[in-house]
Amino acid sequence: MPMNANWPDDKPMIEVKDLVTHYGQSLILDGISLDVHKGQILVILGGSGSGKTTLLKHMCGLHAATSGSITFYGQEIIGLEEDRLALVQQGFGIAFQSGGLFNSMTVGENVALPIREYGGIRDEALIDALVRMKLNMVGLGEAQHKLPSELSGGMKKRAGLARALALDPPIVFFDEPSAGLDPIMASGLDQLILHLRDLLGVTFVVVTHELESIRTIADEVVFLDLGKIIFNGTVKDAEERGGERVEQFFARRPDEVISQRTAV
Amino acid sequence: MSPTRIECPTRLDESTGAELYKQVRASKIASGEQLVLDLAATDAMDSRGGAWLIRISDFVRLKKGELLFEGQGEQVQGFMALLEPALATPAVRQSYSWHPFENVGEVLLSSWGELCDFGNLLVDTTYWTFIAPFEGKGFRWETMLEEIHEMGVRAIKINCLMNFLLGLIIAMLSAAQVAAFGLGIFVSYLIMIGFARELAALMTALVVSARTGAAISAELATMKVQEEIDALNGMGLNVAQFLIAPKLVAMLLVMPCLTIMGLICGILGGSVWGIFVLDYDAYTWFNNTLQAAHFPDIMQGLVKSLVFAVMIVMVGCHNGLRVTGGSRGVGLMTTRAVVMDIFFLIVIDMLFALFFYYVEV
Repeated sequence: MPMNANWPDDKPMIEVKDLVTHYGQSLILDGISLDVHKGQILVILGGSGSGKTTLLKHMCGLHAATSGSITFYGQEIIGLEEDRLALVQQGFGIAFQSGGLFNSMTVGENVALPIREYGGIRDEALIDALVRMKLNMVGLGEAQHKLPSELSGGMKKRAGLARALALDPPIVFFDEPSAGLDPIMASGLDQLILHLRDLLGVTFVVVTHELESIRTIADEVVFLDLGKIIFNGTVKDAEERGGERVEQFFARRPDEVISQRTAV
Repeated sequence: MSPTRIECPTRLDESTGAELYKQVRASKIASGEQLVLDLAATDAMDSRGGAWLIRISDFVRLKKGELLFEGQGEQVQGFMALLEPALATPAVRQSYSWHPFENVGEVLLSSWGELCDFGNLLVDTTYWTFIAPFEGKGFRWETMLEEIHEMGVRAIKINCLMNFLLGLIIAMLSAAQVAAFGLGIFVSYLIMIGFARELAALMTALVVSARTGAAISAELATMKVQEEIDALNGMGLNVAQFLIAPKLVAMLLVMPCLTIMGLICGILGGSVWGIFVLDYDAYTWFNNTLQAAHFPDIMQGLVKSLVFAVMIVMVGCHNGLRVTGGSRGVGLMTTRAVVMDIFFLIVIDMLFALFFYYVEV
């Protein structure tokens, strides 16, 4: 796994260049280029169907692109052989929109799975302690022995984050962390993201629509519209001079005619 | 009693954490005693080091002692704050208690509940299938035609092949017993009567339950998991009317047709053995087959096929609608539906056999 603790701060940890993706005949991502630096919280935002989740899944190596390049610590991941990609992906924590938990396992077993598979720990008591630590971090200490089907949507999302954090990855990809959570839990999750970044140096790539969350956590935002980046910079810049579409997003101003824009 | 003090290492990780845990265990902490972990020298900590602190906390709690942390520097303070909830929460062990009477009672109650649910669904479906359409409450004819295509037309090939092969096997096995006595021609009687009364209906029902019964259960279970059933109910639409009635009518129409096809293919399968291996000429074989064909025997098979049709649809729907949990629940209920289908097929077949044994038809 290319986990380079001495990776220079000025070099991007993840570098996306000219990424193009099609689903059938539809162009989903059109020439995306962006950098993610170590310890940064990058927020990808944009309207529904703008290609945010697709971009996130490309960055974690879950989707094949039509063309372009994505490097992680300098290692190209597009077109990488499956077993080598799997090694790179051990350095990723991926928290899915609906949790992505395995229904046949308890929440604790879900979190323990990557630790057992890749963590190299045989001591079950230590695995249990790690699982409890991760679950308590996301406020789910009581849910260790529950099945995912017994959890609410927000709890599944948090359990998914606990599993993503199981191996202390240098980077976590998080799809819609706050969607479906109550405001208290959502802000708690934002604080957790900040804590993990500040205390453990975890880098985050987050896809979200939630303005409060964006203002709280984002070091940098990338705004996607119809598969293209139309803004890349700080939240302050986005709100003040992000251009018409970005400013409309932050001002929560609806389109005059809702059907005038079609999702890609 | 003065507290026991242990100094933590400069870097608390997996290996130093393990050492620290050993030191704590060796300290032989007594009940009510305080253990102080001095973190003054610790300037780095990772998750695995944190996990060892949790284990130490569990150990001290087990010994009824008290764990205190002191001297946390800025470097580890934040991490300790993240760790705090896990340190404060005792490990929850799952307890498996065995209460035989409670367990038996629970099984009986849940079985009774399931039977009631099944009864309600059956009544509901009967109303929406056979009564409501005549009261002008509508019936989804287009869906029914689609179901006929899916359940019937697409099952023809596999059903015919299975019955053909079964006919061939039965002819082969029975000919081996009777051909030596020059009674090979009676295999044609056996095939005709066997398939008409029993085998065509049973084999067809097995094929349909494995194919369609499982599909019905998986479809409804997935709809339930994805809240589509709630959406239907929320729109004031009845599940039995909207989903089950078209399936039931379609199945009632296709099962007898598939059974007749199965009967013909079973006879053809037997004939292949009789004509090509036992060397009977085709006219003699089919003439004997026709002599063994009696309308009441064929009706027996068709009546069974109708009962099997109702059973397959109702068991599939019942199990699909009882799903709990996510994808695992869908898998479990689909398996359960197929197992129940096969079990009830045999039970119903046995009841028919008993009935026709005592009541000469």
